[in-house]
Amino acid sequence: MISESLALGKRSLTKWTRNPFAVIATSLQALFWLALFGNSFNPANAFSSTPGGSLGPLQQAFNGAPNYITFLTPGVIGIVALVGMSFMGVDLVLDRTSGYIDVLKAFPIPRTSIYFGGVIQNVAKGMVAAPIAFLLAIFVPNGLRFAQGFGFLNLLGILATVLLLTTVFSMFFTGMAISIKSTDSFFAAINFLTFPIMFTSTAFFPLSFFPDWLKPVAQANPISLASDAMRLLLVNGNLPAAQVSVFIWDWVWLLVYGAFFTVLGVMMARSALKAR
Amino acid sequence: MSGIIEVDGLTKIFPPSAKVVDCVSFEVGEGQVFSLLGPNGAGKTTTIRMLTTLDSITEGRAFVGGRDVNRDPGAVRQLIGVVPQEVTLDNELKGIENLLLAAKLHHIPNTIARKRAAELLKLVELDQSQNNRVSTYSGGMKRRLQLVTALVHEPRILFLDEPTVGLDIQTRTRIWDYIKGLNRDRGLSIFMTTHYLEEADQLSDVVAIMDRGSIKVSGPPSDMKESLHGDILTLSVEDGGEDLTEFLKSVPNVTEVIRANDAYRLKLPRVESALPAIITNVASRGLKIKETSFSKPTLDQVFLEVTGRSMRDAQEANDHSNAGRFAVAHRSETR
Repeated sequence: MISESLALGKRSLTKWTRNPFAVIATSLQALFWLALFGNSFNPANAFSSTPGGSLGPLQQAFNGAPNYITFLTPGVIGIVALVGMSFMGVDLVLDRTSGYIDVLKAFPIPRTSIYFGGVIQNVAKGMVAAPIAFLLAIFVPNGLRFAQGFGFLNLLGILATVLLLTTVFSMFFTGMAISIKSTDSFFAAINFLTFPIMFTSTAFFPLSFFPDWLKPVAQANPISLASDAMRLLLVNGNLPAAQVSVFIWDWVWLLVYGAFFTVLGVMMARSALKAR
Repeated sequence: MSGIIEVDGLTKIFPPSAKVVDCVSFEVGEGQVFSLLGPNGAGKTTTIRMLTTLDSITEGRAFVGGRDVNRDPGAVRQLIGVVPQEVTLDNELKGIENLLLAAKLHHIPNTIARKRAAELLKLVELDQSQNNRVSTYSGGMKRRLQLVTALVHEPRILFLDEPTVGLDIQTRTRIWDYIKGLNRDRGLSIFMTTHYLEEADQLSDVVAIMDRGSIKVSGPPSDMKESLHGDILTLSVEDGGEDLTEFLKSVPNVTEVIRANDAYRLKLPRVESALPAIITNVASRGLKIKETSFSKPTLDQVFLEVTGRSMRDAQEANDHSNAGRFAVAHRSETR
């Protein structure tokens, strides 16, 4: 199954790299989030006296981030993963409506390899966009500031967290894309799901800003788990022992989501691809 | 039975109760070209989809290459190549990339895949454009590429669903040549659906005429045409209100008369020798012949004989009912 999934993933990636607009759009979408939300939502705007966009008295509330972009960057990476993984499923919907998936079903391959091929290509595209978001955040005005002691392991931890989050979303949205029979229904479902996930996460604001009734939802949101884990690595050069367990729990919950969505995605794909 | 495809009582019912294929049985011999001929909506594509493991079988059994389609679909998929009705290539990939992807999905090692791809592309005269994206190909080029994409793993049986639908006559003839060549030179068994009479007639060793979900008759096209025992004379009479069926049956040498709207189709051994007597007889009743035409037996006449309607009439009727069915299906799909 692995070789077939890789072959199908490679097919989509080849097409993607031949479409410069798609590559640029995917890679640069973080810029809009950072530039627009980074400025308009920036709490430092309320404290015109603070230098360099510093969060000043709000720094502690914002997970210890020195400025808003440092807080926002992991959130934006999470949002890019969500939006990317959800909308990239359209390739599979188009494959289905064009009859291409029927052709694949006539090959002697496990039908779940069609699903995993979709997961692989989406994750690969997502992993191009995430480091670009990271780089852009450094260069925007009042941009990302690294904590003292931030090193290669912190960077690796951030990339691994992005990979995990991207995989979590891809497992779910790819399964959904294979199950949906028309592009109209697909986009309706995506719009219905992505905005609530986005705005009930701590991507833009810390947990303390949420009303009490919404806090459990925000805490359990995969974007919150991933962006809080990434913030720990950004804001603390060397992770204190107390924070290590927080980081590990964020990962454990993301892995639980990953396992659940893999099972759910495979079930959706099997049901959608079985002979009727 | 010992055919490469053996089908017994094959039935497909789409929920809740639409019986699209109704207890179909046939056998395809090794190395044969077998055509399922019928109008749109006859159940041909559903039959091919069941045999290629894409749709489940409601009732009956089917064996492809000796493997049970229901119980061993994976083994069946290894033996077959499938060319669907619509072109389903990846337009953004190059011609050769489409072939190599198909080879990869059939687990063919890369060096062998490249060698086979080169041979196949040459066979269908696409070797010069193999490195162009499929989106730049003409409709005929796409069809040719689609055909060889199904051959890259050297299947024993090739399934073609309406292989030339929508193509101009030159391209269609070219595709026919490739199909004939594949059957002749490689001994490939071919199962084909078509609603083109001349396609079935020219390519097939055996034709099965399908209408409204069931097979009405099957056999070699020449045998089927000979079974009609004669030529067909079609005539229409001015002021055709009066039913002349019984009168025309009484004319010497006329063996059968079928009335279709304002025209009469007469079956007779040799139309050339009988025509003067017919004209004289009709004139003797004070009637004037408006139009006559005659033809040697064709598969269309075989179709008319076994279904009571011509292929064109059947096509129009089914297109009309399918349009209604499509609207309902489309509504439920987009819900």
